[in-house]
Amino acid sequence: MVSMLALLITVPMLTAVIAAVCRGRFCRLLLLSGSILHLGLALYCFNTRIDGRWIGLTSYSEAILLVLTSGLYFAVCCYCCSWLKAEECSKKSLWILGICLPLFLATMTLVILSRNFGVMWVAIEATTLFSAPLILFHRSGRALEAMWKYLLICSVGIGLALLGTLFLAFAARMGGVELHDLRISEFLNIKESLNPGWFKVAFVLALAGYGTKMGLVPFHTWLPDAHSEAPGAVSALLSAGLLNCSFLGVIRFAALAPDKVGEFCTELLIILGVLSLATAAFFIIRQGDFKRMLAYSSIEHMGIASILFAVCGIEMTMIHLVAHSAIKMSLFLLAGNLLLACGTRQISRISGLFGVMPANAILFLAGVILICGVPPSPLFFTELVLLCQAPLWLALLMVLLLFMVFAGMMKNVLSMTMGKKCELEIHAAPAERLIWVPIAGLCAALAVGIVFGVNL
Amino acid sequence: MNMAIDLVLTAFLGICLMLSASSRLVHCIRLVALQGILLGVLPLLMWNWSKACPGAEIWGAAFVNIMVKGVLLPILLIRAMRKAGVKRELEPLAGYSWSLLIVSVASALALWLSRSLTIPGVSVLAIPAAAVTVFTGLFIIVSRRKAITQSLGFLAFENGIALFGAAMHLEYGFFVELGILLDVLVLVFVMGIAVFQISREFEHIDADRLNLLTDTGEVK
Repeated sequence: MVSMLALLITVPMLTAVIAAVCRGRFCRLLLLSGSILHLGLALYCFNTRIDGRWIGLTSYSEAILLVLTSGLYFAVCCYCCSWLKAEECSKKSLWILGICLPLFLATMTLVILSRNFGVMWVAIEATTLFSAPLILFHRSGRALEAMWKYLLICSVGIGLALLGTLFLAFAARMGGVELHDLRISEFLNIKESLNPGWFKVAFVLALAGYGTKMGLVPFHTWLPDAHSEAPGAVSALLSAGLLNCSFLGVIRFAALAPDKVGEFCTELLIILGVLSLATAAFFIIRQGDFKRMLAYSSIEHMGIASILFAVCGIEMTMIHLVAHSAIKMSLFLLAGNLLLACGTRQISRISGLFGVMPANAILFLAGVILICGVPPSPLFFTELVLLCQAPLWLALLMVLLLFMVFAGMMKNVLSMTMGKKCELEIHAAPAERLIWVPIAGLCAALAVGIVFGVNL
Repeated sequence: MNMAIDLVLTAFLGICLMLSASSRLVHCIRLVALQGILLGVLPLLMWNWSKACPGAEIWGAAFVNIMVKGVLLPILLIRAMRKAGVKRELEPLAGYSWSLLIVSVASALALWLSRSLTIPGVSVLAIPAAAVTVFTGLFIIVSRRKAITQSLGFLAFENGIALFGAAMHLEYGFFVELGILLDVLVLVFVMGIAVFQISREFEHIDADRLNLLTDTGEVK
């Protein structure tokens, strides 16, 4: 069965090789067929439980993340097929998209499937390398700046995580265990003999490293830039796929915490989570750019997810991540549509979208309402469970901050959608045809919410 | 062999001081390449030769390390430097004498702090040398303007981490090591392309002047 899992990684790689040979021709066909094959394989492997030396699939939550990532990639590829027709792009951009998008998927899959801390590090660093050229799709100066920040900040951050991995091996040695490689399952077996002091060092470094990649404050500075400058389809994958994979790195480190250190780890996760939530809330209220607003909302939800993980455990976190991914993917795709139609990301220059492009405007408003956690959004239920289980001060603080986020997002989105028609020249027709994938994403999120809410 | 190991670790400390005080980019690239070669040699020096000869994996890792960090990366970096048309880091945010002072103080501190930290089988210089290399890398990233010097800083930072692993006998296994080297290689390749594009788009490669993207400034 390990060979089936290996196929999940090699299929996108092969797609990338074929795309490289074709030099931009058949780009859409290749993307779509690769994604269908990957999704099929991922669904086939869903119930497989196997633990190999390098790769494996050992838990329900990893299987869910695998299918989620694969499904998101499939949805984004479907969107790309019609989006690439509407968007003006050079053959070279198409070529790079055709190579880097499947490689990005391959590395994200490897992150989820890896059963060795070294392999996981290599895979997470590789996701940075293959997603950076995608940010440069429009080849503008701003995109270059975003890409440079992304490359440098994330690489340094992830370098810290490598140091953390070394310290983890060191903690095992200082605890009197000699391990020959960095297999996750071996570490899980000996976790109580890890030296607590050195494990703390390892965890702090890993949290800083993988936390940089998942956009936790104060390591988040690259995220709003990269997510806002990338084209909508790429931002959707970055925000809905990559952040989860980086979070998995933190989750795997936290799972090793010996009993004495467990409290230290949860406290650290809660502190960073609250910081992320607070920073996002303040920046969303004052935001003038609708894609940056969505990027800050991703930071907010990563913060909530890490608090959820610390307080309620892995199941709730997974539901939160799945729901956030589905809704955020739809929102970023819709933001791409709005940008395509209006040519600007400035909130103050856009108004009266209900009259001009009703489908996109309604969906965007609906998506923002769902992402803010208004029932029946699944995010409402996960946040409700969190508020019930969290200590009182944390619950009160979170309610306040969540309300700030809600108010800020609604203010911005309502000013875009309602009011008089703006003076911008809006090309609504191509954008209005690109609504089916976002509709599917939002419906999926609603379905999850209703099923989960009924069972709660 | 202990003498040789200490010599290599001292060389790392020296390279850090030279890196922090040198303005010519070619010189900096050579210093980082030298770090890479020393990193490749270090596991061979640390091998217990009286017991057995090292296996193919150890030789292979050393060879790949030297080839990638000592040969390929410098070639890529020098090419990026030529394409972007820069030779020197002229006005760093922290001047050269200040940089030298800061790195020397950091080295002294590292040596002083780690004197009580003795780990059996590991040279006393291992932790300070690795820590100072990591620190110098990070310091170069924040104190230099040119994008290409920042990528050099990143490489020094990564070499420091690798030094920590090698000097403390912490192994990832051969394949993971290959993966890490491949990652670093692709990263420098992508950074080289980025530096070239930045120089073409903005007609400079000063990373501190890449400041279009803010939360309060002009929106596209």
